[in-house]
Amino acid sequence: MMTETRASHWAMIGITLMRVLVGWHFMYEGLAKLTADSWSAAGFMKQSRGPFAGFFRWLASDPTMLAYSDTITMWGLTIVGACLILGLFTRLASLGGIGFLLLFYLCNPPFIGYFYTIPSEGSYLIVNKNLVELGALIVIFATGSGKFAGLDRIVHGLWVRKPRLAAA
Amino acid sequence: MAGEDGKDKAAPAAAEGQRKLDRRDVLMGLSTVPALGLFGYAWRKQNQVKQAAAQAAVAPREAAAAGDVKEVNVALLGAGAQGQVLTEAMQRIPGLRFRAVCDIWTEYNQRRVVNTLKRYGHEVNGYVDYREMLDKEPAIEAVIIATPDFWHAEHAIACLKAGKHVYCEKEMSNTLEGARNMVLAARETGKLLQIGHQRRSNPRYIHCHDKLLREANLLGRIVTVNGQWNRAVAADLGAPERYAIPQATLTQFGFKDMHQFRNWRWYKGLGGGPIVDLGSHQLDIYSWFLGSNPTHVTASGGLLYHDPATHEWYDTVMVIFDYMTPAGPAKAYYQTQTTNGSQGYFETFMGDQGTLLISESELNNPGSIYRDPNAPAWDAWIQKGYISAPVVPEEKEEGASGAIADVRESAAPDRHKVPITLTDPYHQPHLQNFFDAVRGKATLNCPAEVGYESAVAVLKVNEAIEANARLAFRPEDFRVGGTA
Repeated sequence: MMTETRASHWAMIGITLMRVLVGWHFMYEGLAKLTADSWSAAGFMKQSRGPFAGFFRWLASDPTMLAYSDTITMWGLTIVGACLILGLFTRLASLGGIGFLLLFYLCNPPFIGYFYTIPSEGSYLIVNKNLVELGALIVIFATGSGKFAGLDRIVHGLWVRKPRLAAA
Repeated sequence: MAGEDGKDKAAPAAAEGQRKLDRRDVLMGLSTVPALGLFGYAWRKQNQVKQAAAQAAVAPREAAAAGDVKEVNVALLGAGAQGQVLTEAMQRIPGLRFRAVCDIWTEYNQRRVVNTLKRYGHEVNGYVDYREMLDKEPAIEAVIIATPDFWHAEHAIACLKAGKHVYCEKEMSNTLEGARNMVLAARETGKLLQIGHQRRSNPRYIHCHDKLLREANLLGRIVTVNGQWNRAVAADLGAPERYAIPQATLTQFGFKDMHQFRNWRWYKGLGGGPIVDLGSHQLDIYSWFLGSNPTHVTASGGLLYHDPATHEWYDTVMVIFDYMTPAGPAKAYYQTQTTNGSQGYFETFMGDQGTLLISESELNNPGSIYRDPNAPAWDAWIQKGYISAPVVPEEKEEGASGAIADVRESAAPDRHKVPITLTDPYHQPHLQNFFDAVRGKATLNCPAEVGYESAVAVLKVNEAIEANARLAFRPEDFRVGGTA
C-alpha cells in the first residue's frame, strides 16, 4: 500500500484555481483558432528550429498532414481546456495538454542562439511560458485535482467501485 | 439546485451497496462549472465587441446602393490614358449610357475607347471636335473631361454652357484665369462641375477626415505635415508612326508635334509639371484635413535631370506651406521628384497626440495611425471600429544590438491600421458621387469652388520657384467673386 501524502485543503484549492486558469487559456486558444478566418499552424511550424525542425517543417509542407495538425490543434486545445475547467477526465486532459505544450515547446524552443520572428510578448531563455504551463499541468496530473473539485468527483462516486475516499 | 437533486436521485442506483455520493461530493464536483459559464460570457462579450468593430468599419462603404437609378447619358472628352482609367471605373457604375467619345487621335485612343464601349453595348459616336459633338448629341447630360490641362477651361465652360453637367479632371486649369472662369460658368449655368480630386470621395480619406480627425481628434493639435510623390524616370510615351495625327490637326489643337501631344505634361503652357500632375492631389488633402488654405508658400525646384530640349517643367520640386488652421499655425512640407520612385506617395499628418500616415494606394501605406505614448488611450475608438487594434510588430529591429538609446529619445508609438479598404478602382467613388449628384441624390465632394482653392495653392508653387521668394496668399485669393 502506498503512503499517500495528501495535499492540504488550501493547497488543493490553489491547484484547482490553477487548473481553471490553465483550462481557460487552452480553451480560448482553441476557440480563437477555430473562429479565426483562416488559422493555420503552418507559419508556426515553418519557423521551427532545433532538433525537431525537420519533422515540423515536413508537417507544414504536406497539405494532408497540415490539415490534420490544424484540426487536432484547434479541437484538442478547446476540449482539453473545457475538461480542465470542469475537472472532467482531468488526468487524461492534463496528459493531452502536456502533449500539446511539449510539441509547441519543441517546435520553437527558446534555446540559446535561436532568433524568431513570430511575435513574443516576453523574453525567454530556455524556459518559456509553454514550459511553465506544462509544469502546472504536471502538478494537476499528479494531484488528480478533478477528484477534489470537479466533475471527476461525481463521475468517480458514480462509477468507481472502490471506496477509496471513504478509506482515506 | 436542480442539478444537485438529480444527481442525488441517480446516485443510489449506480452506487448500490457502495458508498453513495453525498451532498459535499456533488457541490465540490460542480464547483468549477461556473468558471465555464464565466468563460462563455467573456467569449460572447469579446465576439460582440469584435463584431461591432467590424461592422463599423464596413458601414461607410455601403452608402450608395440605391435600387432603381435613372439612366444618365454620358460623353467622354479626352480618351487618353486618364480618360481610359475613368471609363473603366464608369463601366462599373450602374445606369450610365455612353453616347459619344471625343478625341483628336482618331486612329488610336478614340477608336480604342469607342470599340471597347461598343463591345459593352453602348452606341457611341466618335468625334474630333468637341463643338461638333455638343451640336450633334443633344441627349448628352454629362461630360467627362480628361483632356490636357490647357484645354480644361475651354472644354468645361463650353459643356456647361451647352447645359451639360461636367466632371473635369484636375488640374482644373493650367491658369488661374481659366479656373476662375470655370467657377463662374458653373454658377451662371447652375450645372454641376466636379473637379477630379478623387481622394475627396475615397472612403478611407473621408473616414480619416470625418471620424478620426474631426470627431475623435485622435491627432490632437496638428502642427506639421509631410508628404511626397516620388516617381521613377518616365520614358517618352512615343506613338506608332502609322497612327500619327496629321500635323494640321495637331496645330489646330495647340500641339507642336506628335511628341508634344504625347508628352504634353513636360511642357509649359500645356501642363503644370509634377507639382500639378502629382502634388495637386495631395496638397488638396493638406487643405482639406487642416481645415484651411495656406497663408504662405516657399518653394525650390529645378530641371535637374532631364534634357531642357524635351522637358520644360521642373523635374524636382520641394515646397513648404504655412497654414493658420482653426487650431493654430502649422507648416507642411511636400516634395515631388520624377527621377526616383523611392517610397512612392503618401501624406503624413503629425499632431501632438498622434500621426496619420495615409495614401490613396491600397498596397503601400494605405493608412496607419500612430498613438503618441502620452496620448489618452484609444480603446474606445478601436471598439467603435474607427481604427484597428494595435498592430504587433512583426520583426524586432536587427540593429538594436549595440545601440544605446538616449533617455530623451521618444518611445515608439503604437501603430493602428485605418480599417477602410477601397475595393473599387480609385476613381470610382468620385465618379459615383458626381453621378449621384446629377441624379439629385448627393452633393459634390469637390465642386468647382473647392477645386479652385486647390488650384490657387498649387499653381502658386511654380510661381514661387520662378520668383525664388516666399509668396503670401490673401484669403480673398481663394474666393471667386462676382456671382452671376
